[in-house]
Amino acid sequence: MYLIKKSQVMDIAKELQKEYELYGPVIDKETKQTMFVKADDAAEIDLNAPIPAIPPKHVLFPNYERIMSYKYDRQNKKVDIKPDFDEKPKALFGLRSCDLTGVLCMDRFFLGQEFADEVYKNHRKNMFIVSNTCIAPFKQCFCVCTDSGPAAQEGYDLNLTDLGDQYLVEAGSDKGKKLAEKMGLAKADDSHKKAKENAVDKSISLFDSIATDNKAWISRVMNRVTTGLIDEKVWEYIGNQCIECGACSFVCPSCTCFNITDPITAPDEADRMRTWDSCSYEGYSRMAGGHNPRKPVEDRRSKRFFCKLSYSQAKKYLRPGCVGCGRCQWVCPGDIGLPNVVTYIRREIQK
Amino acid sequence: MNYKSGICTFCGTGCGHLLDVRGDKVCGVFPMQNHPVSKGRLCVRGWNVHELLSTADKITTPLIRKNGKLVEASYDEAVACLVDNLAKYKKDNSEEIGFLASSRSSNEDNFLLMKLARSVFNSNNISLDSDPGHRNSLDVLNRATGMPGMLGSLEEISKADFLLVVGIDITKQNPIIGSELHFAAMKGARLMTIDTRNTQIAKLSNGFLQIRPGSYKVAMAYMAKVLVDENLCDVDFLKRYTEGFEQFSKTLAALNDDEVAGKTGLDVEQLKNAARDLALSKSAMVFFSSGISGFDSDTIGYIFNLYLMAGKIGREGCGVNPVTGINNLQGSYDMGIAPDLLTGFQSLSDKSAIDRFNKEWGVKLNTHPGKSICESSGKLKALVVVDHDETIVRNVNEISKMDFVAYIGSYKNDFVNYAHVVLPVATYAETDGTFTNTERRVQLAKKKLEPAKNVLPAWQLIAKIAEKAGAKWNYASPADVMAEIVKLTPNYAGIAYDKLQAMGGMKWPNGAARLNIESAPRKVSFAEIAGGLSVPLASEEYPLLLMIGEAQHYWHQNNLMKKTSIPLREYNATLLLYPKGYVAISPQDAKDLNVRDRFTVKIVSPYGSMEAMVQVTDKVKPKTAYVAYFVDDMVTKFFLEHKDVLKRGEDATIPVRIVKV
Amino acid sequence: MSEINNLTIPEIVTIDEIKDEIVEVKTFYLSFDARKGGEAPKFTSGQFVMCTVFGAGEFAVSLPTCPENDRFHLTVRRVGKVTNALHELKPGDKIGIRGPFGNGFPFDEIKGKNVIYVAGGIGLIPLRSSIMRVMQNKDKFGRVLLFLGARTPQELMYADSIKEWKTAPGFETNITIDNPVPGWDGDVGFVHTLIKKKNIPIENTVAFVCGPPMMFNAVIKELTELGIGEENIISTLERHMKCGIGKCQHCAIGRTLVCTDGPVYTYRQIKTLGEQI
Ligand code: SF4
Repeated sequence: MYLIKKSQVMDIAKELQKEYELYGPVIDKETKQTMFVKADDAAEIDLNAPIPAIPPKHVLFPNYERIMSYKYDRQNKKVDIKPDFDEKPKALFGLRSCDLTGVLCMDRFFLGQEFADEVYKNHRKNMFIVSNTCIAPFKQCFCVCTDSGPAAQEGYDLNLTDLGDQYLVEAGSDKGKKLAEKMGLAKADDSHKKAKENAVDKSISLFDSIATDNKAWISRVMNRVTTGLIDEKVWEYIGNQCIECGACSFVCPSCTCFNITDPITAPDEADRMRTWDSCSYEGYSRMAGGHNPRKPVEDRRSKRFFCKLSYSQAKKYLRPGCVGCGRCQWVCPGDIGLPNVVTYIRREIQK
Repeated sequence: MNYKSGICTFCGTGCGHLLDVRGDKVCGVFPMQNHPVSKGRLCVRGWNVHELLSTADKITTPLIRKNGKLVEASYDEAVACLVDNLAKYKKDNSEEIGFLASSRSSNEDNFLLMKLARSVFNSNNISLDSDPGHRNSLDVLNRATGMPGMLGSLEEISKADFLLVVGIDITKQNPIIGSELHFAAMKGARLMTIDTRNTQIAKLSNGFLQIRPGSYKVAMAYMAKVLVDENLCDVDFLKRYTEGFEQFSKTLAALNDDEVAGKTGLDVEQLKNAARDLALSKSAMVFFSSGISGFDSDTIGYIFNLYLMAGKIGREGCGVNPVTGINNLQGSYDMGIAPDLLTGFQSLSDKSAIDRFNKEWGVKLNTHPGKSICESSGKLKALVVVDHDETIVRNVNEISKMDFVAYIGSYKNDFVNYAHVVLPVATYAETDGTFTNTERRVQLAKKKLEPAKNVLPAWQLIAKIAEKAGAKWNYASPADVMAEIVKLTPNYAGIAYDKLQAMGGMKWPNGAARLNIESAPRKVSFAEIAGGLSVPLASEEYPLLLMIGEAQHYWHQNNLMKKTSIPLREYNATLLLYPKGYVAISPQDAKDLNVRDRFTVKIVSPYGSMEAMVQVTDKVKPKTAYVAYFVDDMVTKFFLEHKDVLKRGEDATIPVRIVKV
Repeated sequence: MSEINNLTIPEIVTIDEIKDEIVEVKTFYLSFDARKGGEAPKFTSGQFVMCTVFGAGEFAVSLPTCPENDRFHLTVRRVGKVTNALHELKPGDKIGIRGPFGNGFPFDEIKGKNVIYVAGGIGLIPLRSSIMRVMQNKDKFGRVLLFLGARTPQELMYADSIKEWKTAPGFETNITIDNPVPGWDGDVGFVHTLIKKKNIPIENTVAFVCGPPMMFNAVIKELTELGIGEENIISTLERHMKCGIGKCQHCAIGRTLVCTDGPVYTYRQIKTLGEQI
C-alpha cells in the first residue's frame, strides 16, 4: 500500500506511458461524453470522469479487427497468410471496478476454457491495469447487486482510492509493486486502509440516493433463468420491445460474441476481420442453407439473458456475466436493459 | 481522441454517432450519449456503419467508356468528357439534359448540383430518385401552413399524450423514432397504430386497427366526421387560426358507417374511439411514412385536416409529421431538387425568388419548370446521376436508352454499367457537409478522414464541372456553400457552420420545435381534397390485394447494405429463407391455396406475373398479401410493369391472384 | 491436438482430387502442405474442421474421413457463398483448414454392442467416418445395421462406400428412396418405416442418427418406441460456426457450445438443450 498526492496521481499514467500505450477515461470536449480510449497525452485522462460510455472491452476485443491478411495467387497456386495479432503493451488507467470485472470475465472466457483464444491472449499478455475505486456511484450503477463494485477486489496491478487530498495506491501484482517502488511512492499504513474502507462504505450507502436508475436483484432470477422456468409471456413481452439493434451486446463489458468475415481488399487479397456481433440479430444463428434454429426474436433475447444470468454460464466467468454497469439500459431502444428484464422476471415470480 | 462525432447517414432520423477513426480507417462506431435525437441509441444499420465506410468496394478513379469499356482516366479528362457531352445537348435544347440527384447527398452537394443544372446547363430537369412520396407531404403541408416540413418535431414526442402511427413500419424504417414512440407510450401516452400489417409498433401500441389496403383515407375522413358529429372540434382554435373548415366538413357528411366498415374492414366503433381519444387529448401527433412508400395527397390531406380540426397543430407536443426514410430527403427538397422548385420550397414561378437567384448567381434562370426523369417520356438524351441505388430500377429502361450517362458516386454500383463517364467522390466521412433530418434539423457531419488519393469531395467536383463549362464559382469550403444557401433560402435564415459545430445542429426555421401558428402571416387553411373515397377492390378474378412495403431494415439502401457484412447477413436472413423473394399471406389464405411456408407460387395481376415463395404469417390479414420492395430482381421487374400503381405510394395496391406452382 | 498450431490461422492444404458425389455435393481429397507426407492431423470420427476458401470465407464441415486407412477428404454441399466458391475450385488449388475440433463419436465405449446407423440424405457425411471405422473393426461389434434413405436413387451418397458396406461381412445394409421410380428395385418409403419392417436389435444397442429435421424426428420416435433408450441414440448437430474453438458463441444452444461440447450428443442431451434443434 502506497500513497500519492492528488496533484501527482497522473504521474503514474505518465510513467506507464513510457512503456505502454495508455488508455483511460477521456471526456470529449464537444459531446461531453466520457469514452475509455487511447490518450495520446496523459493529461487528457480524467479520473473523476463519469463512467465511460464505452467500456474498455474494445482495447482487448476491438470492434472491428484484422486478425490476418492473405494473398492467393490463383495462377501459381500459392497462398501467403500473414497473422496480425496485436501484442503492443497497453495500460488501462482509471478503470472502474465494474469494467475491471468485465475484463476478468473476458479473461476467464477467452483464456480459461478448453482452448485459449490467441487473438485475445496477445492483446492481454502485456497489459497493465490501474483501477479506480468509485467513492460515489453514478445514476445508472448497480454493481452492489452484482458484486462487482464499488471497489475492485482483484485483477488490478494498481488500485487507486481517492482519500481527499491523496490517493491510496494498492498493489495487486508484482508488476504493480515494482512500479510503485520505482516511483518511490510513500508507504501507507492501516489508518489509510481504514480510510479506504470508510470511503467504500460511504459509497455503498450513497447508492440509495444517487444510483436510482437501476436495481437488479440478480440472485433472485438466476435460478429461474438457469432452469428456464419463466413464463413465455414474459419473453414475448421482452421480445416485442427488441428492435434488434445489437447495442446491449456491444456496450456490455462481458459480451464477447464475434463474427468473422473475409472482405476482399484487392484483387486476390483479403483480410480476415473479427468484428463484434450480437445474438439479438436474426442472422446470427442462421446456417447456410436457411435453417435458423433461433428465429423468433424472443428466443434470441432469452439467449442473451441466459448468457448473463444463468449458473451454467456463470461457471465460465466464475461469477454472473452481468457486472452492474447499467450501460445496456441506457442504449436500449426498447425498455429491456438487463435490470429491467430482471424486474420483469421477478414480477412474474412474485405472481 | 480517436472517436470523432458525426451523424448517421442511413435514415431520416439523423442519430448522432462517434466514429472510431485511426489514420485512414474507420474501425468502429459508438452512439452519442447526449445527442438530442438519438440520446445514445443507434439501430442495426447505425451500429454497423463502419463496415460500409471501410469497404474496399469504392470507386477510386474516374472512368471513361471507350469502345464499350470503362477505362481509367484523370478527373480533367472525365470532367471534360462530361461537359463536352452535355454541351452538345445544351446547344440544341437543354430540355434533353437531366439530373438525377440523390437524397443521400449533403445539402451543399445537392445545392451545387441544382445550381449546376439550372444556372450552367440551363436545365430544370432535376429530380430525386425516390419521388414523389415526400413531395406529396410537403405540398400538402406547405399549401396549408406555409411550412414545407414536419409540423411537429421528434424532440416533442415525449410531450404528446396521443400518438398516432399510420401506415409506417417505423421500428424498421426509422427504428430510433419507433423507440421514442415506445418510450412515450411506456410513460403513459396513448399510442395508436393504423396499418395493414401487424407490425412491431402495432404490438407496442395501446390500440391497433388493422385496416384494408388502400383505405387509410376513408378511416381518416371518418375520424374527422366523428369530430364534427360529436362536437369534438376545437372550435376556438378553428376560428382563430384556420380557414376552410366549413367547406371541408361539408364533404364529410355523406360518409356512412356501413360504407366505412366495408371499405376499411374495421369496426367503426374503434375508429370513433380513436377520434375521441385524439380530440380529448391535450396534445397529439401523427406519424406517417413519407418517401417511396408515402401516401397520396388526399390521404395526407385528410390526416392533416383531422389534426387541424382537433386543434393539434402549432402547439407544444402537437404536429402532423411525415417521416423520411432516407437521411437527406428533407434536405434535398430544401435544396430545390425538384423540376419546379428553388431552395426552401420557393417556386420557379415566384418572381421575387427568381430575381434573388438571378442576382446572386449573375444569370438569367430558365423559369419553365422541368420534368423529372419519370415524366420525361423519353425526351432526355443525357443524364447526370448521383449516388443512385441500383436496385431502384424504376427508370432503368429510360436510362439505358440514353445517349450519354454520367455517374457520380462513392461506392461501386451496378449502375455504372449504364454510364459513359464515372466520377468518384469522397464519402460523407471524408468531407464536411450538412444533412437535414426528418424534423428539419440541419446537422453538420464533419470531415473525419482523408479521401482516397486523388478523390475529390462532391462539392469540389461539381465546382470543377461548372468551371470547365465556363462558370466562375468560388467556394473555399462547404461552409461557403452554406452561406450562399442561407442567403437565398428564407427558411434557412440564421444557419451557419459556426452555429452547427455544436452537437445536434439547428432546426429550420430559426430552431423552431414546431409550426409557429401565432406568427404565421396567414391563417392555416384546410387541405383541399381532390378525389373521392374509392378504394382498390379485389375481384373474383383477382381476389387478393397485394401491398408493397419496405423489406426488413434495409428499405431503399440495398446498394449500401451489400457492402457490409453484418447488416447484409441480416438482410439475407430473410432473403435466404426465401431465395426467390417472398409474398406474405395469411394462414387462412395459405390453407385455401393448399400451400405451406416456402412453397413457390405465381402471383398474377392484370398486367403481369412473377414467381415467389410464400411466407405464411399472421402479420397480414386474409385476402391481402404483402411483398417487400426490391427483394429480388424478379419482384422489382414485376413492379416495373406497375409503375403507375407504384406512384400511389402506400396506397399502391395491386389486385392479384395467387396460384400454386 | 496437433503439433502444428492451426487454432486461429488456417494451415494450407492442397486439393488433390475432386469427385462429384451427387447433385450439388462434391468430395475433395486433400493433403496438408506443411505436414510430413501431406498427412492430416490426428482426428476422430464425428469431429469437424473449419475450412477456408481464400477470398470467400470460412465454414464448418464435419469429417467423413475414417481415422484409419482412409484418404483425408471433405464432402461439401453447395449451400451458400463460401461453399459455392469451394465448388468452383480445381485440383491443385489451395484451401485452408483449422482443426479438427469437437468431441467425436464414441468408439471404444461402444465396443461389443450392436450398432445401428440411420442416415437421411447428406446426413450420411458425418456417419461415413464411423461406419468405416466399425467396418474395419467389425469383430469387436455385434450386429451392424445400416438404414440409408434418399429422395431418389440419384441422391444416394457415397456409391462406392455403399457397395463395400453391402458386401461387408456382418453388415445388414438397407437402402430406401422416398418415392418409387422405374429401375429401382430396392425399398421405397421413408427410413423410419423401413426400420419398423426390419427386426432390429434393442438390447445392448446404440443407434447413430443423422439427417434433416423431419426425418430425424420420425426416426427418433420410431427408435424410442421400439425401446432404444434416449442415451443410446447418438447424433451430431450442425450449427452456424465462426471460430470452432468455443469463443464466437454462434453455435451456442442453451448451455452448450456445439463446437467444443459437441457436435456429437446423445438424444437425451439434445432433448434437454432447451432450444430448437
Ligand atoms: S435510426 Fe436511422 S439515423 Fe438512427 S442509427 Fe438507425 S439508420 Fe442511423
